[in-house]
Amino acid sequence: MSWQRMAAIMGVVYGIVAILPLFVGDIRFIMQILIICLIWAVVASCWDVIMGFAGIFSFGQVAFFVIGAYTSGIFAVSWQVPAVLAILMAGLFTAGMGVLVGLPCLKLAGPYVALVTFGVHMTLMPLLRGDIGIALGSGGSVGILTIPPITLFGYAFSSANIIPTFYLTLALAVTCSVVILVVINSYWGTAFLALKDSEEFAVSLGISAFKYKLMVFALTSFLTGVVGAYYGHYIGMLSTRMLELDLFVTLMVMLVVGGIGKFPGAILGAFITVTVNELLAPLGSYRAVTMGALVVILVLLLPNGVMGFWLRRSKAGATST
Amino acid sequence: MKRDQWLAVIVTIGLMFGSAGMAADTIPVGVPLAMTGAYTGSGDDYFKGIKMAIDELNAAGGLLGKQLEIIRYDSKEFAPEVVMQGADYLCGQKKVASVHAGWAGWGQDVRAYGKYEVPFFADDGSQAAVDVYKENPEQYSNIFQLTDVGIEQAKSMFRVLMALPYEYPNKKAVIINTDDSWGVEVGDTLEASFKEKGWQVAKRETVPYGTNEWGAILTRIRRIKPALIHIEIPSAQENITFFRQFIKKPTPSIISLGWGITPREVVENLGTAADGIVGEMPTGLPGPKAPNAAGQAWIDKFVGLYKHQIPAGSWATYTGVMAWANAVKNVGDAYNFKAVNKYLKENGYEGHQGLIKWDADNVLRAQAAAPVVHYQVQGGELMAIYTDPPTKAYQDSTFIVPRWIK
Amino acid sequence: MSEDTLFLIYELIDVIISGLTNGSVYALMAVGLTLVYGVTKAFNFAYGSFFNLGGYLAWLMIPVVGAVGGYVSIFIAVIPIMFIVGYGLEKSLVAPLRKRPEWEMKVMMMTLGLALFMDNLYAVVFGGRVKSLPPILEGTLDVGDLVFSYQDIMIFFLSIGGILLFGWILNNTRIGMAVQAVAQNPEGAKIVGIPEKRIFAATFAISTAMVGFGGILLSQKYFISPMSGGAIMVKSWVITAFGGMGSIRGGLYAAFIIGMLEAFVGYTLGMSYSMIALFILLLTTLALRPQGLMGRA
Repeated sequence: MSWQRMAAIMGVVYGIVAILPLFVGDIRFIMQILIICLIWAVVASCWDVIMGFAGIFSFGQVAFFVIGAYTSGIFAVSWQVPAVLAILMAGLFTAGMGVLVGLPCLKLAGPYVALVTFGVHMTLMPLLRGDIGIALGSGGSVGILTIPPITLFGYAFSSANIIPTFYLTLALAVTCSVVILVVINSYWGTAFLALKDSEEFAVSLGISAFKYKLMVFALTSFLTGVVGAYYGHYIGMLSTRMLELDLFVTLMVMLVVGGIGKFPGAILGAFITVTVNELLAPLGSYRAVTMGALVVILVLLLPNGVMGFWLRRSKAGATST
Repeated sequence: MKRDQWLAVIVTIGLMFGSAGMAADTIPVGVPLAMTGAYTGSGDDYFKGIKMAIDELNAAGGLLGKQLEIIRYDSKEFAPEVVMQGADYLCGQKKVASVHAGWAGWGQDVRAYGKYEVPFFADDGSQAAVDVYKENPEQYSNIFQLTDVGIEQAKSMFRVLMALPYEYPNKKAVIINTDDSWGVEVGDTLEASFKEKGWQVAKRETVPYGTNEWGAILTRIRRIKPALIHIEIPSAQENITFFRQFIKKPTPSIISLGWGITPREVVENLGTAADGIVGEMPTGLPGPKAPNAAGQAWIDKFVGLYKHQIPAGSWATYTGVMAWANAVKNVGDAYNFKAVNKYLKENGYEGHQGLIKWDADNVLRAQAAAPVVHYQVQGGELMAIYTDPPTKAYQDSTFIVPRWIK
Repeated sequence: MSEDTLFLIYELIDVIISGLTNGSVYALMAVGLTLVYGVTKAFNFAYGSFFNLGGYLAWLMIPVVGAVGGYVSIFIAVIPIMFIVGYGLEKSLVAPLRKRPEWEMKVMMMTLGLALFMDNLYAVVFGGRVKSLPPILEGTLDVGDLVFSYQDIMIFFLSIGGILLFGWILNNTRIGMAVQAVAQNPEGAKIVGIPEKRIFAATFAISTAMVGFGGILLSQKYFISPMSGGAIMVKSWVITAFGGMGSIRGGLYAAFIIGMLEAFVGYTLGMSYSMIALFILLLTTLALRPQGLMGRA
C-alpha cells in the first residue's frame, strides 16, 4: 500500500471521528468510549508495527502499556512531577524497558519471543502487587487512585470537560499514527519488511537485524508507554486489573479485525471492535463467546482483516472499471 | 469515497445504538456485575439477591406506581476504564435511579460513581474504598458500602475464633491469603491480632489466585502442627483443593476459611467431608434457621427460587435494594438523589434483623441488625454458629470439634 | 539423629515427591503441545481449553458410565471423543490456514480466538462454578511419618504410563512412524508417499487426546473451572519452550526440572515467587540456548 493511500485512509477515519462530537458530544458515555477507542487505536497500531511489519511475535504490548501508565502515575503521585513531563518520562522509561525485553528476543524464534514477552506481562502482576511494587509506589493490589489530570497552560483535561479532552486525545492519536506512518514508509520500514521476508538475505544486504529489531522495540514501547501514561492521567486511576486477560484479548481482536501488517487497519479495527463489543453487551455472558467465535471466523474468512477486504475490493474495482 | 461514508454510517449508528431511549413508565435500576471472566461466580450470587428484591417490588405494584427495570452492565474484570464506562453508561446514559453492585472495583468504583449523585451500593469490603470516600465525603455521599471493611471482618473472625468453646492445644497459627487487597487486608489484620494475643504466627504466606497444589505448604504445616490454620482466598477452587489435600494427613488444627467458606461450591463439592470447617459471611442473615419468622420466610423463599442456601452477598444486595426503595417511598421521588441519599444516611432501613444504619463513612459496619455471621459446616451444610458484633453464640447452635482433631 | 533432622529429611522427601508428581503431570501436558509444534509448526493456543474439555466430558460421563468400571470406562469413552474433536478441528480450522502467507501467526491468532470461545462457552454452559470429579483412588499410604496419597501415586503412574504409551505409538505404529518421518524430514516424507495432510490432522488429534487424558487425570484432583485453561496453557508453553519446542525428550526433562523448581521455590521462598523464578530460569536458558534445552536450532 502506498503511503498516500495509508494517509488518506487515516485521514478519513480520524476525520470522521473528529466530527462525531457534533452529534454525540453531549453523550458522555459515548465520548468516553471514543476517547478509549483512540487510545486502543494507538496501542493496536504499535502492536501491528512490531508484529505485522517487523514480524516479531511480541505479546508484551499490554505490559508496556501498563508499565507506561504506572511509571507516569508514580512520578505524578509520589514525586509531584507535572503530568506532561511525567508522560514523557514514562515514554522514555518504557522505551528502555522495551529494549531490555527486546535484547533476549533477538535470537529467538516466534513462539519463544511470544513467550518471553508474555512472560513480562505475567510477572508484572505479582511484581506490582508485591513488596517491590509497593516500595516503588504502585499502591500494591489497591492501585493508584489519585492520578492528577493533564494540565496545559492552567487548563485541566479530565473527564469533567470531555470535549476538549477528546480533541487532545485525538491530537495525540493522530501524532502517534503519523509517526508510525512515517516510520513504516521510511528506510526503516523497508528494512523491517526485508528482515521479515528473509532475514538472511536482508542481513547480506547490510541491514543490521540487531539494530532494527531493537529500534522497533524502542519505538513501539515508547509510543505505547506514552499512550499508557496518558490513559492513567485521563482515567485518574490505575490498578493491576488492567493485566487481566480481557484487555489483551480485546487488543488482539482489534488487530485481527483490522488486518495484521495492514496499517492503518489496526485503527479501523479498534473502532469496529469496540463498537461490536458495545453492541454485543446486551448478550451478557454470551458476549465473550461471540467475540471468540468472531476471531476464529475472521481469521479463516478475512485473513487480512477489514483492510485486506477493502484493498481487494478496491483492486477488483480498479481492474474492472 | 462511497465506502468511507458507508463505514461512517455504520460507526455512528453503532455508537448511537447504545443511546436508544428507554420507556418512560418504568424506573431503570443499574446493576454492574461481572458477567464474564474470572468473577462471574460472585456476580451471580449478588444478582440473585437484587433480582429477588426487584421482582418482589414489582409484584407489589412497583415503586411509586412504576415498575422497576433492571439494566445490567458487564464489569468484566474491573479494569479502570471498564468501571468508569459502567458508571457513565448506567448513570449518564441510562439515567438509572440507583445502582446495585457487589464487588465493584475496590476504590475505583467510588471514584467512577462519585461523579454522579445516583445512590450506589457496593460490597467492596475494602479500606481502600473507604479511604477514597474520606477524601471528600460531600462528593461521595451517594456511595453506600453494604459490608464492613476487610480489617473489621478480620477482627470479627479473630474474636469468634477466640470465643469458640474449644481449648487450643498450642498458640501457633498459620495464615495463607491471596495477593489482592482483600486477602492482604485480612491477612495483615489477623497476623497483628494473633501476635497481640501472644500467639505465634508460625507461617504467613501470600499466594496468587489459581494456587491449587498445596504440597509444599502442607509439608510445612505438618511440621508446625498449628492449632489454627486460616485461609483467606475469596474463590472456591483454591479452598477446596487445599482442604482435600490437607485432610489426607490432617494436623490437629481448626480450619478457618474466612469468606472463602461462602461460595456454594465449597459445601457442594466437599459435602460432609467439610464438616468442622469454620468461616464467615459479612452482612448476613444467619441460616439455615433464621433468627425470626420474617428472616425464615426470606430464606425459604430464596431456597425455593434458587434451590440452595444463601451464599455471601445475596442478602446484602437484597437489603440494599429494599433500603433504597424504602428511601424513595419516603422521599416520594426516585430522581431526587440528594434527598434519597440523605434519607438513607439518616434513617437507615428496618431490615429482617432490625434497623440497619450506615456510619459516618457510609459503610454498613457490622452491627446487630446486619451482623457478620460465622458458620461451621455441619452435615454438609453451612450452619450459623456465631454472630458478631456483639460476639455471641447463635441461638441454640453448637460448635463441633472437627473430626480430624482427636 | 535428632528429631529435627529427621523431620527435615521427611520434609525434603515430601517436597521432592511433590516435585515429581508435578513433573509427571507437566510432562503429560507438554508432550502433546510440543509434538504438534514439532511436526506441524502450528502453535495451538487453545491447548488449555482442550485440557478442560477432557475434564468436562468426564464430568458429563460420570452419571452415565460412572457405575460401570469407573475411570477406566471414562478414559475409554472420552479419549476417542477428544481424538475425533482434534482431528475435525485440524481439518476444518487449521488446515485451511496452512496455505496462507504467515500462516503460523494466523494459527496462533485463530487458536487464541478458539480458546476465548471455548472457555467462555464452558462458563455459559456449565456455569462459572467449579465442578468436581470423584477422586480416582481414596486413602493414603503411610510409611512412618511420610504420607503418600493414592491419588498422587495414581496420577504419577498414569502420567508416566500415558507418556510411555505415547512413545510406543510413535515408535511402533505406522501412523506414529509416519508422524516422526514428517517431523524429521517433511520433503522426504512426501517423496515416499506419506499423506502429509492426514498426518498433520492425526498429530493434532493425538495431542488433543493426550491433553484430554491429562485433563481428566488432573481435574479429579484440582477440579474443573471454566477459565483455568489459560493457566494450563501458559504452564505447558513455558515447559515446551524451556525444553525446546518440538523436542519431546526436552519437554520431558523440562517438565521434571520445572516441577522440582516449583516445589522447592514454593517450599523455601513462597508460592508467589514460583512464577518469577520460572521466568528467570526460562530467560537464562534462552539467553544461553535460544532453541531451548534440547530443541534443534
